[in-house]
Amino acid sequence: MMSIMKSVNDFLTRLSGKLKGGGDKAIEKQKKKGKNTARERLEDLLLDEGSFLEIDLFVEHSVKDFGMDRKELVGDGVITGYGKVHNRPVAVFAQDFTVAGGSLGRAHSKKIVKVMDGAAEAGIPLIGVNDSGGARIQEGVESLCGYGEIFYRNTKLSGVVPQISVILGPCAGGAVYSPALTDFVFVVERISNMFITGPQVIKTVLGEDITQEELGGAMTHASITGNAHFYAKSETEAFNTLKKLLSFLPANSNEDPPVRNPIPPAKPLSDDVIPDNRRQAYCVKEIIRGIVDASDFLEVHKHYAANMVVGFARLAGRSIGIIANQPRVLAGVLDVNASDKAARFIRFCDCFNIPLLTLVDTPGYLPGADQEHAGVIRHGAKILYAYSEASVPKMTVIMRKAYGGAYIAMCSRHLGATLVASWPCGEIAVMGPEGAANIIFRKEIAAAEDPEAYRQEKIREYEEKFANPYAAARKGYVDTIINASKTRDTLIKALSTAGHSRKGRPHGNIPL
Amino acid sequence: MEKKLDKLIIDDTEYVTEVPEHCRKPYEGLPDPSEIKAFIPGTIIEIKVSEGDRVEAGAVLLLLDAMKMHNEICSGKGGLIGKIHVSPGDSVQKDQLLVNLIIPG
Repeated sequence: MMSIMKSVNDFLTRLSGKLKGGGDKAIEKQKKKGKNTARERLEDLLLDEGSFLEIDLFVEHSVKDFGMDRKELVGDGVITGYGKVHNRPVAVFAQDFTVAGGSLGRAHSKKIVKVMDGAAEAGIPLIGVNDSGGARIQEGVESLCGYGEIFYRNTKLSGVVPQISVILGPCAGGAVYSPALTDFVFVVERISNMFITGPQVIKTVLGEDITQEELGGAMTHASITGNAHFYAKSETEAFNTLKKLLSFLPANSNEDPPVRNPIPPAKPLSDDVIPDNRRQAYCVKEIIRGIVDASDFLEVHKHYAANMVVGFARLAGRSIGIIANQPRVLAGVLDVNASDKAARFIRFCDCFNIPLLTLVDTPGYLPGADQEHAGVIRHGAKILYAYSEASVPKMTVIMRKAYGGAYIAMCSRHLGATLVASWPCGEIAVMGPEGAANIIFRKEIAAAEDPEAYRQEKIREYEEKFANPYAAARKGYVDTIINASKTRDTLIKALSTAGHSRKGRPHGNIPL
Repeated sequence: MEKKLDKLIIDDTEYVTEVPEHCRKPYEGLPDPSEIKAFIPGTIIEIKVSEGDRVEAGAVLLLLDAMKMHNEICSGKGGLIGKIHVSPGDSVQKDQLLVNLIIPG
């Protein structure tokens, strides 16, 4: 029988071997690519110091084919466990590229599944770090089974606990679908790569030349595909943003997000914060910073569909989700991508008890065959669905233009808003005065002695009648008219009196 | 970082705003049914029609080997086969013109 101390020493020897993952050579290779190791990512960059509780380090695969029986794969290529971020518990996994390229085999997937089930049981967020060559081909269908079981749990966990993916290496083929099912995806410049079929296959099949970076690099997914919600220049930056993101979120759908001490914005809004001319652009993020606590706004999908701005902030210490038209880009129109972006964000907030603030200044939908053929009808419908479905407090501020269908879509009273406020320069109408006058007085303008002068007169007439919030306020569609400088106070009052009865998992957060 | 501002007209109102590159593409129109093109690169295996043949909509015109499959290239409309631009064994690129179809009316 082994003495106690002998078994202790034997354990320590085994452990020190395991902690090195794929070994010194593989670690050096990983470092050369400018990447941290899986262990560094979890222990140094993500989790509170000393908080990591690793499980399943001693798990081994049991594959016999293709000489696999002679191969020891430490932890089967993935590190899993639990830890804390800013003293709040999370479940984590990080694929270890130094071990068989982080390839996913049966044991690997079982480890991930175990912490996913643990996250569900404990009601805590799940954070996954993806760095993997893909399916472990030697394991055949077992590896596909592994992916499938992960996708199944991603879906069942959706709307129950926040799920966040960090892509820190290749993530190709079927592997991309686990991150795609999660709530937020982080990518890092020159490190992240996601695609279904790689550049090589595309070259062979289609004869098209495209680099890995152009096809599925970080900026491609942040700006063109919208698969990534957060883009960072370094792994450290990505994890810091992730920690900030978690600070806005509850641990699960039964809880409210944590409340902080309220801090007023650095530069409060003045009454004349937007330009006089309705055709002149401005940046809506400046408005947001003038409303929210400490002027601190965490933007989601910053590089994608920039005509719509979404993100997290706090109001009187409470987390809110902001959805705002951005007049600076495409005049703040709604289009296919902006609709998808807003709808998914709204549904995430509704899953996790985060009240919504909608800032409206939009001339309508983007015209064009391109948009119609891209399905702006069914994509646009997602915003209507998401707002109507949401049961969290919904506050709306009409800053200027709220025209036509876009007025209805941007969390109008008609979709169940908790409070609709308008600034005095708000214009709630079917369309802008120019378009309306041209349609209503088409015959009269054509017949007039001086058509242009007559047209201008009719535009002014329409402006006076409809380009204001009073017609809507008379009907009770606008609850209150406020000067811009009163926006923060008004919203804080509304938030403190708004109810939110429905908690738990109202719905999942299907990728839109 | 200031980007140049452009003009965007919506309901007769001209807005001064950024217009991203991908929103500037002009509409290319629907594909022309009288031009039968390769939807994918590959190799022509067999041509099932001759110039001057009358074909119904949906008729198989030729077989294209691509993606490990023999893909049937069909006529979208009925008409007369015009010029055939390829022969069996030819490698073709994506969107390469294969057959002209003369559509009556």
